[in-house]
Amino acid sequence: MADDGSVTTSAPRSAGATAAVRAYAQERIEWRALNIASIVFFAGAVAFGVAYGLKGDTFYLRLATEALIFGAVALSVDILLGFAGLLSLGQALYFGLGAYAGALVLKQVSESFWLVMGVSILVGVLSGLIGGLIAIRARGVYFALITYGLAQIVAKVIYNTRELGASDGITGIPIVNVSFGFWQTKADNPAGFFFVVLAVIAIIYLGLLYLSGTPFGRALSGVRINENRMPFLGYRPDRLKLAAFVLASTIASIAGGLYPMLRGFVSPELMYFDASTNAIVATMIGGTGTLIGPLYGSVILVFLKSMIGTITTHQIMVIGALFMIVVIFFPRGLLGYLREIVVARSRTKDGGGP
Amino acid sequence: MIRNSTLIAKLAVAATLLGTTAAVAQDIKVGALPPFTGPFASIGQVIKVALDMRAAEINAAGGIMGRKVVLVYEDGESNPATATQRAEKLFQVDKVDFLTGTVHSGLTLAVGQVAERNNRLLATTVSFSNAITGDRCSPNVFRVNPSAGMQASALALWAADFKKGAKVYYLGPDYEMGRSTIAEFKKEAEKLGATTAGEVYAPLGAKDYSQFFGQMRAARPDVLYMSTGGTDSVRLLSQLKEYGLTNMKLIGNSAAVTSDNLDAMGNAAEGFITSGNYSTLIDTPANKVFAEKFKAAAKIEANLYAADTYTVLDFYKAAVEKAGSVDADKVRAAMRGLAWDGVAGKKVMRAGDHQAIQDMYALELKGKTYHPLAKVDGEKAAGPDLCTKW
Repeated sequence: MADDGSVTTSAPRSAGATAAVRAYAQERIEWRALNIASIVFFAGAVAFGVAYGLKGDTFYLRLATEALIFGAVALSVDILLGFAGLLSLGQALYFGLGAYAGALVLKQVSESFWLVMGVSILVGVLSGLIGGLIAIRARGVYFALITYGLAQIVAKVIYNTRELGASDGITGIPIVNVSFGFWQTKADNPAGFFFVVLAVIAIIYLGLLYLSGTPFGRALSGVRINENRMPFLGYRPDRLKLAAFVLASTIASIAGGLYPMLRGFVSPELMYFDASTNAIVATMIGGTGTLIGPLYGSVILVFLKSMIGTITTHQIMVIGALFMIVVIFFPRGLLGYLREIVVARSRTKDGGGP
Repeated sequence: MIRNSTLIAKLAVAATLLGTTAAVAQDIKVGALPPFTGPFASIGQVIKVALDMRAAEINAAGGIMGRKVVLVYEDGESNPATATQRAEKLFQVDKVDFLTGTVHSGLTLAVGQVAERNNRLLATTVSFSNAITGDRCSPNVFRVNPSAGMQASALALWAADFKKGAKVYYLGPDYEMGRSTIAEFKKEAEKLGATTAGEVYAPLGAKDYSQFFGQMRAARPDVLYMSTGGTDSVRLLSQLKEYGLTNMKLIGNSAAVTSDNLDAMGNAAEGFITSGNYSTLIDTPANKVFAEKFKAAAKIEANLYAADTYTVLDFYKAAVEKAGSVDADKVRAAMRGLAWDGVAGKKVMRAGDHQAIQDMYALELKGKTYHPLAKVDGEKAAGPDLCTKW
């Protein structure tokens, strides 16, 4: 518009303003759809926990607890991939570090749930700072390869460290008491610990939902959409990416801290490439950039794996085929697809889109 | 007429249904978590053939206390994280009475803990980490196969017989397993008077071992102990032959030369000596029948994993019959000190650490098969009971 002096300035400005308003309205509809999906998720989880708890079930409650824990790792992938546009192939590293830290604290320091949570946050922040400073210097596929390499190296080192149990891992982790003052439970109480983990995941989810609407969250999306433009708006993309990386590693590490309480052991396999890819697959199935999608994706993936594994030993092929179907037909994942439907419907209600 | 026949059919169906539910209630369920995918998948197949074979035989002969044995498989995947979850499913959903078939040692330890928390019993037939019946023993975990320590001490006893004060040179891959296997053997060998001529560690997957041959030749060892495995063993043994380093005895742990990598090294492994509890040539009537039957079913030669997995069902059967129940506490009590006939000889479950005591053999590779050389007394190979949990 600057190079066209003949056009009055007011017309395009108002057109731009309308476009912005429309975009904002659409985004609100999108998030409303996702918020409904998240209410359904957490309400469903509570109902499941109560129903199966009353039934006295063990296996499905503990499987769901595991799905929530891995869901947090998928959430951390979503922060990087869905918001900052960074594909990490080694997110399991931070999960594994949190798990080893948790295991060591429980075995050697104190059987305290809160101490484990504190230590795993600390481990997540520190390891995320180190890993992030190394990885975010590179972009695109090089970033992905560095994150992959870091996870492989640390997993190998632990595999060969006798003090950390080497390939045998660490077992004999005591069953912790979780006390909230007014209510307490034990990690081997299937329903009780399910609700503890659900609460932790809900807090993480709500925190991230809040962050996504803050200027920081917006700026992260800016990095994903057009990194080169951000400096012109007064942002430093490297710092934003590092902040996202540390946030993601901290969440993965918290999830790691919960794992040994549930399963009573840790082993180097927790950091392997398989574990990292599972988090990515869960995120993609659920819907990248939707926050609630990765939680749905993780539940679907964990339950599918358990069920298919019973029927056939070729479960990896089945999961692979499922992943391909999702990527080809629902490239935005299940929640991304749902979001599209809701938006399309609201447009027809408004009397047609643009 | 038609109505009558449908009625009869319905009654027949109802009767069968009743019959099956009654039979199901009486079945003894044995869960198995072998690796069907991942690096140990070939061992997983051996385990499945052996368990299926023995369960069919036991059922044909009237089952355990008249109850049919039903096997329930889940893929253990060589990943403790997956296996603990699947073990919980076997215990909680399938309600198996007993669990076996674990391979990866870390997995056995983690699943053993699941068994402990579900008050059920687990017996491994493959995992050899000393920790399982040593410092990390569990009241709910038993081991039918020999531990790494038993293998090492049996081989050390053979070396002491081979030459008094033998000079041993050690070569292994530079990682925890390679180093701990050597440390284990070295400790046992030096107790019996062997001396160390040298010790080198090559990177895992090393392409060239000839760089170590100079110092090895200079040290003039009587014996070379190797803890390599897979393709590392192929390269090492082939190069030793090419360089003419044949004037020392080649020995190693049981994973160094197996049917998996034997074909790739021609006759370079001829005369290689290891230790174990099984060879198809161990002369017992049971073994003769077993080896033939297994080969027909699996299309490969029976090996130590096949023999120990086959016999775990006999161990369980004997314990349940002695206990008169499948209750974990009663069966545990029956398993402690239980003696039973394995494929290649008698086994006794040591009450103190749940390690099966059994005769070991020094085994020499001739052609494609390991020939038993010398028998090593099981009690001597097993050493003291180091478990302090009960």
